[in-house]
This record gives sequence, structure tokens and C-alpha cells, in this order.
Amino acid sequence: MSRVDVKKPSLCTSEPLSQETVSRALSAFSKIVKSCYGPTGRLKQLHNGTGGYVQTTSQSSALLNGLSVTHPLLKLLTASVQNHISRFSDGGLFTAILCCSLLERFQDLKVASCMCVKISQHLLSSCTDYLTSEACGCRIPVDFNSSKILLDLVRSVLTSKRTCMLSRKEADHVSILILKAFLLTVPQNVGTSVRLGKCLYVPMKDKSVMDSRVYAGLLIETPEFDLTRMLPAKRTASSPIKMALFSVSLSGDFCNPGEGAVVVHHGVSLEAAVLDQLLGLGQRMVKDGVGLVICQKVVHPALKQYLKANQVVVIERVGVVMMEPLKEMTGSQPIPSLQCLSRACYGNLKDLQIEYFASKRFLHLIPDDPAVCSLMLCSRNETAWDELKLVCQAAEHVLQLTVKDPWVLLGGGCTETHLSSYIRHKSHKMPSSTLENLGCSQTEFQLVADCFCHSLETLARCLEHDGGEILTDTTWGHFWSVPPDVPYNSTWSDFALKCGCGLCGSDQDLSWRALHRPSRPFPPQSCVSESSITSADNLVLDSFAAKCNGLQAAVETACLLFGLSYVVEDQN
Amino acid sequence: MATATRVELRRLAQEAAALAGVVRGSLGPRGGQVLLTRPTGELLLSRDGRRVLEALNVGSPTARMMIACISTHCNLTGDGAKTFIILLSALLQGLENLMERDGAPFCKNVRGREKHKEKCYGLKQVSRFLTVIQTCILDYIMTQDLEKHFLSIFSAYDTDINRCTMESVLEAYFCGKVASNWQKLLSQLSCDFYYKAIAGENASEVLHLVDECFVELHRTVTGLPVSSSRILEGLVLQRDFAVYCPSVGDKRVLIVTEPIHTALSDLGVEVVITAECQYQVSELWITKRTEAVIRHMQHNNIKVLLSSVKQEEVVHYCAKNCGISIVECLSLEEISLICRITGISPFRPSQDSIHTGIAEAAVAKFCQPLRLGAKGYVHIGLSGTDAFQPHSIILCGAVHGVTEQHACAFHGAFKMLRQMFVAVECCEPLSESQDLLNTQQGSAAQQQFVEEPTNCENIPAHGKQLILCEVETEKRSLVSTAVGAKELAGSHTHLNNSSCITMPCADLEPNTVCSLLNESEKYIVDLQKLPPEYKHPGKTGVDENEPSDDNQCIHITVEEGTCSRHALVQLPDSKDSFTGPSHGPSIKDGRNNKSCAQSNAIYSIKAGALVPVGGIFEILLHYYLSSYAKQCQSTSTSVLCSLIADVLLSVPKTLCRTQKRNAFAQLYLEVTGALRSKQQLLLTNQKSLESVSCKYQLVASVLQCAAKLLNIDLIVGIKRLPQKNVESDSEGDL
Repeated sequence: MSRVDVKKPSLCTSEPLSQETVSRALSAFSKIVKSCYGPTGRLKQLHNGTGGYVQTTSQSSALLNGLSVTHPLLKLLTASVQNHISRFSDGGLFTAILCCSLLERFQDLKVASCMCVKISQHLLSSCTDYLTSEACGCRIPVDFNSSKILLDLVRSVLTSKRTCMLSRKEADHVSILILKAFLLTVPQNVGTSVRLGKCLYVPMKDKSVMDSRVYAGLLIETPEFDLTRMLPAKRTASSPIKMALFSVSLSGDFCNPGEGAVVVHHGVSLEAAVLDQLLGLGQRMVKDGVGLVICQKVVHPALKQYLKANQVVVIERVGVVMMEPLKEMTGSQPIPSLQCLSRACYGNLKDLQIEYFASKRFLHLIPDDPAVCSLMLCSRNETAWDELKLVCQAAEHVLQLTVKDPWVLLGGGCTETHLSSYIRHKSHKMPSSTLENLGCSQTEFQLVADCFCHSLETLARCLEHDGGEILTDTTWGHFWSVPPDVPYNSTWSDFALKCGCGLCGSDQDLSWRALHRPSRPFPPQSCVSESSITSADNLVLDSFAAKCNGLQAAVETACLLFGLSYVVEDQN
Repeated sequence: MATATRVELRRLAQEAAALAGVVRGSLGPRGGQVLLTRPTGELLLSRDGRRVLEALNVGSPTARMMIACISTHCNLTGDGAKTFIILLSALLQGLENLMERDGAPFCKNVRGREKHKEKCYGLKQVSRFLTVIQTCILDYIMTQDLEKHFLSIFSAYDTDINRCTMESVLEAYFCGKVASNWQKLLSQLSCDFYYKAIAGENASEVLHLVDECFVELHRTVTGLPVSSSRILEGLVLQRDFAVYCPSVGDKRVLIVTEPIHTALSDLGVEVVITAECQYQVSELWITKRTEAVIRHMQHNNIKVLLSSVKQEEVVHYCAKNCGISIVECLSLEEISLICRITGISPFRPSQDSIHTGIAEAAVAKFCQPLRLGAKGYVHIGLSGTDAFQPHSIILCGAVHGVTEQHACAFHGAFKMLRQMFVAVECCEPLSESQDLLNTQQGSAAQQQFVEEPTNCENIPAHGKQLILCEVETEKRSLVSTAVGAKELAGSHTHLNNSSCITMPCADLEPNTVCSLLNESEKYIVDLQKLPPEYKHPGKTGVDENEPSDDNQCIHITVEEGTCSRHALVQLPDSKDSFTGPSHGPSIKDGRNNKSCAQSNAIYSIKAGALVPVGGIFEILLHYYLSSYAKQCQSTSTSVLCSLIADVLLSVPKTLCRTQKRNAFAQLYLEVTGALRSKQQLLLTNQKSLESVSCKYQLVASVLQCAAKLLNIDLIVGIKRLPQKNVESDSEGDL
């Protein structure tokens, strides 16, 4: 008999956004994310209060995973940001802050929610149209012939996360490593389908960041003591090492008997039969001149002994994760059963070396075509290592996305201020046909557009955590920050030397305004040119794909939450 | 101990009103969204009334019954849950007010008994009348009066579907289902899908397939903007390749549903191993056999293997060597869809001979990996053998809730289209329903004519008549021309009567607006002048039941008036009441009308019939129902008809709520004005259209649901699950 529970009726709340608990939770969340944003963002410690593991972070992915939100509205918001992060690895805080500040401002508006949603959708599409158009003034094409822009991009990703505690020199070093690793994963021979290789991270927690290195090929940690004796001795330097890769267990157990019964007569030992097969296999491999045997699972000691005696290196229990890179790197085919060993399965390795790091020993498998690489990441601090790994993965992902969309956006708040000036200028005088299509009046449109621009500017202002003044120029619409202790009547041009992204200097005749003050709309000009890019060093850049998607996700989520008229909570 | 609670109409009305209150906010194109949380913590967004109502987990059994009715309705049409509950709530409210104020027409004959019984009987009567109205009057009005206002999805001269019209239908649908910023995009997408997927003439078959296999035809991606949703050619299978061997050109595809590599022993088989070498040899043989099967496939030029089960690694190995790609662990639904599209059946390596050629293979234009978000899929371009051209819908959204909502809406859209292409056959042939009304009213009138009847005596007789007629109709449907003929003769006589009197009647009133317009129409005009609120119900914001009440009293005065003038005038009136005033000057001879009705025995709403959105349908139906009510002789039918007519107005009222203050009044005047001046109703400012058959189903379902609810008098609480009727085993024993 099944047990029947009486279902509790659901809780139905109307106009959820106007509730005080919701707005309080929302503003708390928005404060948290805002204070984490940017290279000077404040760190957060996450702990459960009962003596658990303490995590220090300012990264959105770690932060959102750690935060437990209960209200469905906030859950929706964080889910949206997390989905964005899982697709793009970058721009999580950007999305969260934009979404929060849009929501906060929409609530103060006296415009019907569906109208508000429609207008913001229109503004969003004009933003994305602008960003993808040729005329865009905050977008730089990526030149894959030089490493400059890519390196700047990686460095911007690294420095925006403060928890890694990287010095300038360390950041440069890790950026170069990441870029190198990425370039190693690009296959040299491009067939019908291009597929990027894999970069594996090897943790090394008691060395300094500067000791990190990148290796082409794989590093496999081995417990063996006497590694030199393991290596195949008789080998000329030019000839490749033949290797066999097993996905079947070589443990000698009798497995996979099927669903029926198996009757074994007295005196017949199946284990012996299997071991017989194993040794036969070993003999064939030795005869074929195999120098390296790698098994995903366990290898029978007898077989291991036999192979070792014949100068064959045996690596066992590499796990399923390593199988794909091994297969790709060596061109060998995993052998699925003891019956189907053939010469076609063997793969080739260029070389096999031993590397020592601190107290660990690694076998370094060097392939001919290095589609796989290993990045040995060193950090003295456990938390910093975790954070560093996340950051490296994010940077790697950003590079991959950049290959797809060969553009980068100006970082350091410049894209936000530029975009805001653009929208302000565009929405200043809307053609009546557009307004008619939307079914709204010019004032309604203006109100929503102001909200939208303010929210973008809020993002830029969140980059400054020390009470400094944020300015924007009226030529390019870039971001300039002034230190907090500037005397009131001094000229701003003495203090604002470089804009946020580093592309523009203040030597030109510029007029500034404070970002939060209203001003006359102007059409922002582009300052992106061949010469300006080459002359400026240490640019701050953002991933094009991640930021575009973040912008869309933020506006869509804000519209979604703002358009809610009811929340029905199932209490079961 | 079981507990019993009495069902009160007031309680029902309150419950329906509460439910309607929840969904009212999300009705229409400007409606808001509802966020639902599941016990699992899953977040869902919805504007679908059915989903919201089901998520409420209401406790009351009657409210649950209402929701169950809505679910049944939505399963059929994929739309209309919100309108359903709003109509139901207004109807119950109206009925309650009616019974409270004046339940007289329905419960006169139980006078003297307890009050409760009287009430109960009254409700039962109402319920019966509702059923009659739904089956007879509604169908009649739909097919006779409303039909001329319908537009069609088909172009004027051929059976091609007008793409523009299709778009407007879909847009109207999505206006009620998704957030306002995605309505345009999704309606475009669904329209694209419709035109891409449906190649041949056989649209309804394809719609059926899309409806059934929608889960397999769409994929959702979270974390990307909604605007990256798109339609892809071919199918997107849930799994990634187990083995991928790229190749160019067309590929032959094979389906397997069992493991190719057999194990040493199988279920129910005992393997005896007598020697070690025997084991080794049998293992070897199994591997060789697998290899042979794969080689056989290679020889037959098979490039892709679609498997519903997981294949052994040996199979992967062999396939890789033979250049065959494998996709495994496909769901049974996916396999059956592929079989359906391509018309092939699965290959069974254990039984089919591997020496003869493989005939049953499908051909795919392409078969490649596809990456959507974080997951890998197989994108396969199968060319269909029937009318369906395989296409997949990729729906993107920031969160799972959004993609889920869009998928549901998309699915519903195809349900709605499917329903739209169905011609609705009215429940009974019109001649019979007309008969029913005819006899009913005729006799009522006769009674009045003969013996100056009081209302209270009229009603039970009327009720009896009804039952009789129902029996009669049943009999008739069992095929009996004799009965038909007899009845025809029967009604013939008194129709003859009526046609005789038509002329004098017309002569009596030479000063009517149009000399051929009958009396009753004049009364309608009068009636509309009489209560001032009735013209602007939205503006003045009067209680919904007030107009109906007014109707009622006016109607009674009309009746009285005619009675007092001359009893004979009654008959032509009753005849006209079912011909309908809208037929205008051409009042048909009763006999003609009848024979005409019988010649095309089944009247139906044409497939693909459409009306403009925004409550136009409701206002039209309101107009015709209320004019019907004014001519109807039977007080109870007339009262109920006018009640239903007013209830219908609650939909446009709710829709206009978010617009300007007098939007409803304007709309109402515009429509009724056009109707009265007999202009073709063309609302040029309304671009969107909706399906008539869905609307018709909706009104019919609401009436059925209300009738069902009114029939209940007690709720009995029991402590265990209701026992299902288990069929006795005796038959099995025999």
C-alpha cells in the first residue's frame, strides 16, 4: 500500500517585488556583489559558523555557490547568473550587479511593468546591435598574429580576481603560461572538424606561483621509486615509443558472465584461463615492440612483472578522465577486451621523461602533436590555489570564446560608460514610428532609458571602492577615476591621467563630468585605432562574448522578475 | 466516520472567484508572469492558467473538480484555462445572485417542502437547462448566427494556408502564454517551424505527430539569451556520439534495440564450462561474432548506428575500425519517433541473418555532433518519408524556468493549431435541436394560448417536455426514419398554424422600422433603450448580474404585453426566436427551414475558422444569445441565456481592465453597433486572430463544468482511498 500524504496548499503572494522582505534581501544581495566587483573589490569569507572550511573569495562563481538564498525571486536571479557563468566563465558579477540595479530602479518608476519590459528589451537590442556593428566604438578586433591583445585579455581576467593575491610580476607570468597552454591545445593538423585539445591542471601546493610551468603532453604522477630503471633502455633517440592503451581491466578477474548461470566443472579454474590470456597478451606486446603500457584500471602483478622484466613501462589506474587526452595525444585506440589486440591499436609517443617536483615524481609523456598540455600551477596557499585554478580555467575559456568571436571589449568600466552615452544619445529623440511600435510615449521611453543608462553607470561606479570620484569625458564617453582626496576646486585633468581601459590619455582637450550627474546627451566617438592599440600597453580588456551575453542575461532576468505578478510556493 | 458537507452555490462561487483572482492578473497580452516553486526546489515561470491553478494545491474537492475540468479542456485545446475560470466564476456568481433573488422559475413545484430541498431541486433544474443550452442553443447560434463573422485561415479560393493569418493566430496565442518581450519572437519561430516541418497537404497528421513527440523535437539551453532560440533542420538527439567517425555525403542509418555483443550466458540459459580452453574459445567466438556483425553492417554501407541500449566497448572498438558512428542510450520515444519518420524497423543482430543485405536502413543527409550550451548532442538530418520534414526547436533562456515555459507554450501552440484544423461537429444535428426547441416553445405557447397559464404550471410541463425530447432525439439517432417522419408531421401541423398567422402579424404592425422585421426585434430595440446602464456597463461599472436582471424583468413585461394584446401573436414570435432576428427580412417558412435543416443533417464549424482576439467572440456570442433570450418563450431558458450572455462579457471586461478607462464600453459599442446596422464586422485594428473551435470548446466546457458542479449536493469525507472498480476475475477464470 502506498502512503498518501495530504498535500499542503501552496502559498500565493501577489506583487512579490513590492514586499519588504524581498526588497531587503535584494538590496543585501546587491551590496554583496557590488562590493566584490573589480580589481579593487573586497574579499568575502564564506563559512558555515560551525567550524567548517572557510573560503575566501571575490569570484562570482564561488560566491554564488556558497550563498544559500531562500526566496524564489533571488533563487531565480542567482540561477540566471550561474547559468551565465557556466556558459562563459566570466562576467558573473557584471550580470548580477546590472540585474540588481535595473530591478531597483524599475521599482521606483511609474511605468506599467509590461511597458517597461518592452522598452528595456528594445534598448537591449539596440545595445547588442551597436556592439556587433562595425561602428562600435568600444570594441577591438583581435589580431591573432600578435600576442599583445590576448595577453592583455588574460591579464585583465586574472587581475580582476583579487583573492589570487598575485603581484604584477606573478600575474604576468601566469598570463603567459595560460596563453602558452592555450596555444598548445590548438591542433597543428586541422582535419574536417577542428577541436581544441585539453589543458590539464596539476596541483602543486607548496611552491611559489613563479615556479608554475606549462608542459606539452601529459604529466602522470607515479609512486615508483626507481624511475630511471623503469625507462626503456635500448632506444635510439629518433624512434618513437610504441604504446598500448587498455580500457579493459588487466586484473585477471573473470568478469561479465552475463545474466544466466555459468557452471564450472571441478578442477577448471577460470582465473587461470584469464591469466593465461593475459600473459599471452604480454608476450605479443613484447614481440610487437611495445615500450609503454597504460591501463585505465588495474594490471595483474604477474603481467606487470613480466612486462617490466622485458623493459616495458607499465602505468596503471590512470582513470577515465585521462583516457580521452591519452587517446587524442598518442593516436592509440583503447583496447576493450583481451581478444582484440591488434597492431592498429598501438599509438606513438615522441619521448618519455621523468620530472621531479618538490617531493613528487612525474612521468612526462611527450607527444608528436601536442594537442594536450599540462599546466603545473603552484601556490603556497590552499585557498589561493583553488581560486587561481578557477581563474585560469575562466581565462582559458575566455580565450576559447575569443577564437569564436574575434573581438574584445574595452574593460575598466569604459564599455559601460561608452554604451550608456550611446543609449542616452539614441533615446534622446526617438522616431515616432518606433514609439508607436512599442505603444509608449516619449516620456515613458525616456524614463526607462534613463534607468537603463543609470544602471550601466552604476556598474562603472562599482569599480571604485575607495570613495574616489568617477568621471566620464564627453568625447569618447570613457571612464576616468580620480582619487578620493582631491581638493574640490582643482582641475580634474591633473589627476585623471589614464582612462579605465588604458587606451586614452588625458593629454587631449577633454571636458569631464561626474558620472552620477545629469548631462546633455552626446554621440560618443570611437578611440579605437591601429596606432592607439599598439602605442598603449597594459590595456584592460573584457571578453566580448561573455559581456554581451551577460548584458542580455541581466536585462532579460530583470525584465522577468519585474514582470512577475504572483509567486506560488509549493509548501510540500 | 464519514463526514458530509453540503455543497452551497455561494461556496462554489467563492471558490471559483478565488481561483479566477489568481489568474486574472496574467490574462491577455499585458498580463504578468507567475513564478512557481516546486517541492523539489525547481523554479518555474508560467502564464499558463492551467499550470498555475494546478500548482495551487487547493484542498477543496469542488475547487479541485473545477481545476480537473480545466485540465481536461486544456489537454484538448492547449489554451483557454484563464478564460475558463473567469467565465466559470462569473457564471456561478451570476447563478447565485439569480437564485438568491429569484429562484422562482426553477423551483416552483417543490413549494411547501423544506427550503434546502427546494434549493437543491432548483440547482438541478438549472444544471439541466445549462446542458440543454450548451447542446442545442449554443450550437445553433454558433453555426447559424455567428458563422458569418468568421474569418478563415485558408485563402479565399483554395485550401492554401495564408501565412499572414497563421502568424496572427500564433501571435495571439503567445500573447497569453509568454512574457511580452518574447511574444513576437516565439510566434515567428513557431510559424517558421510549422512551414518548415509540414511539407505535404496532410497538416493535421503532422500536427498530431508534433503534439505527441514534442519532447523529442525540442531541446532547451540555459544560460543563453532567448533571442538565440532557433529552428534546426533535422533531429537533435539527446545523446552525444559514443563513437564518431566523420564522413561525407549521405549516410545509411541503422537502428538497434538490443546489445550487439552478447555475454557468455543469457537469462534463462545455463553455460557449462568443462575446460579452460573451452572458455577461452567461447570468449573468442563471441568477439568474432560481434566483429562479423559490424563488418556486415560495413559491407551494407551503414555509417551510423542508433542504439536504444548501451553497447559494449568491444562494439565501439569494432565500429571505430569500420568507420561506423554509434549513438547509444537513446530513449525509446526517440527511437519510435525515428522509426515513425523513416518508416524503418529496428535491426536485430541476434535474429536477422547477417548474410543477406540490410534493406531497412534510413538515409541521413548529415549526422554530426552539435554542442548546445554545455551538453553535446547528435544532430542528424533524416529525410522523412511522410508529410513530416524533421526539424528541431532549440529554445534558449537565462534560466531553466524560462526555457521550460517557452517549451510548454510552443507545445500548446501546436495543440491549439491541431484543434483549429478540426471541424467541430455540433453535438446533434441541427434539425433535432431545433425540433426540441420548437416543441418546447410551441407547447409552452400553446398552453398559454389555451388556458391562460400561470408560470408555475408552465415550468414542470416544460421540464417534462425536455426529457421527452431528449429521449426522442436518442431514438432518432438510432436511425428511424419513421419516427422522424412522424415527428415532422407532428410539428408540421403546428408550424402550419404559425405560418398562417405570420401574415396577419406583420399586418398588425405596419410601422415597424422595417416592415418585415418581426415584433420581437422591435422589442430588442426598445429593450436596449430602456436601461441606460446596459449600454455602458463598463463605464458605469454596474454589477455584472444587474443587466441580466433588467433583461429578465423587461422580458417578462414583453411577454405580458404580447399576451394581453392578443394571444395569437405569441406563435410567430416563438417561431422567429429560433430563426433568429439576424436573418433579417427573409423570414423563412417554418417548413422550408426544417427541410433545409434536415437535408444537411450535420452543421459544423468549418475547420480553420477564426475570429479577432480581444473578446470579440464573447461580445458576438453575447449579442446573439441575449437576442435569443429575448424571444425565447420559456422563462427559465431565457433567464439562463441572458445570464450566460452577460457572463460572457466578463472576458472582454477583464481584458480591457489594463487599458484606458472606457475601453470596454468603446469596444462593446463598436461591435454591437456594427451588428445592429448589419455591417460586416471588420475590426481592422485587431491584427491577431484566434481559433473559433477552441473558443467554442471553451464555452461548451464551461457550461458542462458548471452543470456538473450544480449536480453535486453533498461532499462526503472518507478516510481511505476511494476503491477503484476492479473487474471481477470470473471472466478470466472462464
